[in-house]
Amino acid sequence: MNPWAVYALSGVAMFSVGLVGLFSHQHVVKRILASNIAGSGVLIVLVALARRAPSGVPDPVPHALVLTGIVVSVSSTALGVALARRMARLRADAARASEPPPGSGGEGP
Amino acid sequence: MDVLLDGVLALCLPLLAWLVLRTESLSQAVVLFVAFGLLSALGWARLEAPDIALVESAVGTGLTGALLMHTLSWTEETPPDIRARGRRRPWALLAVAASTLMLGWAVLALPADSPGLGPLVEARREESGVKHPVTAVLLNFRGYDTLLEIAVLLVAALGARAVNPRSERPTPDAGDDPLTGELFRMMMPALLLVAGYLVWVGDHGPGGAFQAGAILAGGGVVALLTMRMGPPRLSSWQVRWALLTGPMLFIGVAVAPLFTGRRLLELPRPYAGTLIFVVELALTVTIAMVLLMFFPGTRPPRAGAEGEP
Amino acid sequence: MMGGTALMAWSVALPLIGAVLSLLVGRAGVRLVAGVASVATLIASSLVAWEVSTQGVLRQQLGGWGAPLGIEWRADGLAALMLLTIAVVGPLISVHALDHLGDREDREFLPLWLFIWCALNALVLSADAFNLYVTLELTTLGAVSLIVVRRDLPGLDAGLRYLLFALPGSLCYLLGIAFLYGAYATLDVGMLAQRVQSGPVTWVAAGLVTVGLCLKTPLFPLHVWLPPTYTGAPTPVTALLSALISKGSFYVLLRLWLEVFAPVLDAEVGQLLGLLGAVAVLWGSVLALSQTQLKRVVAYSSVAQIGYMFLVFPMATSGARAGVIYLVVSHAAAKASMFVAVGNIHQAVGITELGGVQGLAYRMPFTFLAMALGGISLIGIPPSGGFIAKWLLLNESIGTQQWWWALVLLGGSLLAAAYVFRILRGSFLPLPPGVTVRSIPLGNELAPLALALIALLLGLVPWFPLDLLAVGASR
Repeated sequence: MNPWAVYALSGVAMFSVGLVGLFSHQHVVKRILASNIAGSGVLIVLVALARRAPSGVPDPVPHALVLTGIVVSVSSTALGVALARRMARLRADAARASEPPPGSGGEGP
Repeated sequence: MDVLLDGVLALCLPLLAWLVLRTESLSQAVVLFVAFGLLSALGWARLEAPDIALVESAVGTGLTGALLMHTLSWTEETPPDIRARGRRRPWALLAVAASTLMLGWAVLALPADSPGLGPLVEARREESGVKHPVTAVLLNFRGYDTLLEIAVLLVAALGARAVNPRSERPTPDAGDDPLTGELFRMMMPALLLVAGYLVWVGDHGPGGAFQAGAILAGGGVVALLTMRMGPPRLSSWQVRWALLTGPMLFIGVAVAPLFTGRRLLELPRPYAGTLIFVVELALTVTIAMVLLMFFPGTRPPRAGAEGEP
Repeated sequence: MMGGTALMAWSVALPLIGAVLSLLVGRAGVRLVAGVASVATLIASSLVAWEVSTQGVLRQQLGGWGAPLGIEWRADGLAALMLLTIAVVGPLISVHALDHLGDREDREFLPLWLFIWCALNALVLSADAFNLYVTLELTTLGAVSLIVVRRDLPGLDAGLRYLLFALPGSLCYLLGIAFLYGAYATLDVGMLAQRVQSGPVTWVAAGLVTVGLCLKTPLFPLHVWLPPTYTGAPTPVTALLSALISKGSFYVLLRLWLEVFAPVLDAEVGQLLGLLGAVAVLWGSVLALSQTQLKRVVAYSSVAQIGYMFLVFPMATSGARAGVIYLVVSHAAAKASMFVAVGNIHQAVGITELGGVQGLAYRMPFTFLAMALGGISLIGIPPSGGFIAKWLLLNESIGTQQWWWALVLLGGSLLAAAYVFRILRGSFLPLPPGVTVRSIPLGNELAPLALALIALLLGLVPWFPLDLLAVGASR
């Protein structure tokens, strides 16, 4: 089997693991991890496809697409974790507000 | 030997991915994810994609891993519902197998050798103004994708910044930690040098604005986490200019040809190389800034004054 | 010289420039910069539509490279109509947003909306499958950032939910595109259409692209994120999501399906999409009817209305295409008007229950007039854009001898009539004692009315949009 096909198969397997993980987990960090894994799988497939040139020189277009893809996926991950953080903070604040703090007062905004 | 390495690597990646997702502990999962990222960087290298290996290990794994780790200290480690997961697992395994089989079927049906657009890129690379084919695609042939991608980065930075908790001023004594202080002093000039080199080398080899920006952001993240500086805030005009000079320059270069009856992003051939270099240099700052804005500057409340002594 | 092709470039560049400048000027000048950018973009988009209607299909090779090396734009009548819709509906919603949101929020709202506007215009014009992915992502991240603009818990929950469904959607789409590139060595939609052949790669790619875009739009049964997201987001943002943003992914699906996939796939696949659409119509309408929260009624109605749009796939004629686009456009206006009206009601009485509308028709006549006109278009009663759309679809279902879709159209209309009536009936009851109605700015009352009048106008003068749609609609 060609090396590119080995990596492409590996890529689709990673994609499947990530995709199923995204829908079978509840915790937001797990889901973000899953989407990153699925994303890596897609990008591996793209780069593997670039290796099929008979000349042996990889096709640069998928490489450029993958670079764009990485930036997009980092952006969405960062946005996702920022939302998760803020939610955790708000939930913690709400929980603290509902039960009177033992020290009472002294806590900032 | 090569076949063996490829085979093992290709097998390990999905298995490690599966392991990341089934690990109960979230922090272990993130550590495994970083390991997964490093292993996949090996895969990129084997696939002769050094540009991607660079970006992926710096941004995809390093920065993402750091972000996720940082997030774990904020979010609660909710104990997973063991019984529900037990019920779910065979179903999930089945779904993964089915999806892999179907997609694998399509992979095997693809033409086994195809030059793709490689020869076309090669034929017109001279006209693009840069020697490295990936940079030529990224900033000239498909420069419009990159323009929109900068917008993606800006939007994500806006969104993330908007919900980041208000940061505290860097504490004065945090910088006195001798180890991080010395490390930081030694690291910074090297980082600037490496970043500059990467932008320059992008013209004819693996490198460019994203790689360089990621390196710069890496230094910034260390400064943030060691409380040496507060996170960049949009209310300061210096931050706004640092963030937006790159996009404005890029947009300017993109629309300027419209005034002379040419098409969007149609760079004048003799100056294309110079224009691309200048745009990349400015974008490096933007990218570093955006990546920095993804990090909240504060430690989570639990580690702070409240709670534990 | 400012030919049609340069105008296309400006319709994408102007909102982008506006977005960046509005960030740069800081808090003082945001409104001014955004206002100027909006007017300029509206002019550019209208001129593109004018050029298309007089000169025919416009093309541009970005950077001068041409496909398959570079990216190309193509503006046919469909694209031009979408540009116009975005340029008219979007600013009306953002005018409403200015008074509805707080001061800090609209400083953040405006740049993000301009980024989304840029992304949607870029999406509509693009003829490159990967470039479409980038525009989809820009739209999604922009939408998430807008959903959380209030930074409250329901908004954050809605934003995260949306993001976590949109992400797998984009990844499926991207993998589908990777397969297409692997098999046909091009990303240009036109070239793909010429080269595509029936076979495992194309089938799997079509499946991935379709599932990915259905997740984002969303089509039943992938719609589970929609009701909580639409309810949790600030109302002007919900209006944008429902009226424009969800149409972006549908537009991409329509383009790729009609131009690339339909000729090489079995008719059964189209029937399957139509069937899911039909279930969405009935399921969404029934659930809309059983909601107790006003905003959820309108949100579930979106599930149903998106369902109608998928009836284009089994029929796949140019008449059905025109009908569906007509539905997309009139739904954009009508649903935006209804969500904006819901926002006004929440602002006026602070009650989110359906019963909160009681007696308000007398106090907020414009808002309820808008609600009624928007409802008429949703039901599909003449004269309204919704009527023309359903009429065209009804004709096609008879013409292609697929009468069962006609039943779906009629059944959906009856159910829509029931839930619209449920809202309106309450508003004419006497105002319950003890309810104080805060007065809301006149601009906020007029914005939904303007949107509803567009839906009405689409029913009164259908010739211009229909003629425009015919430009370049060979398939």
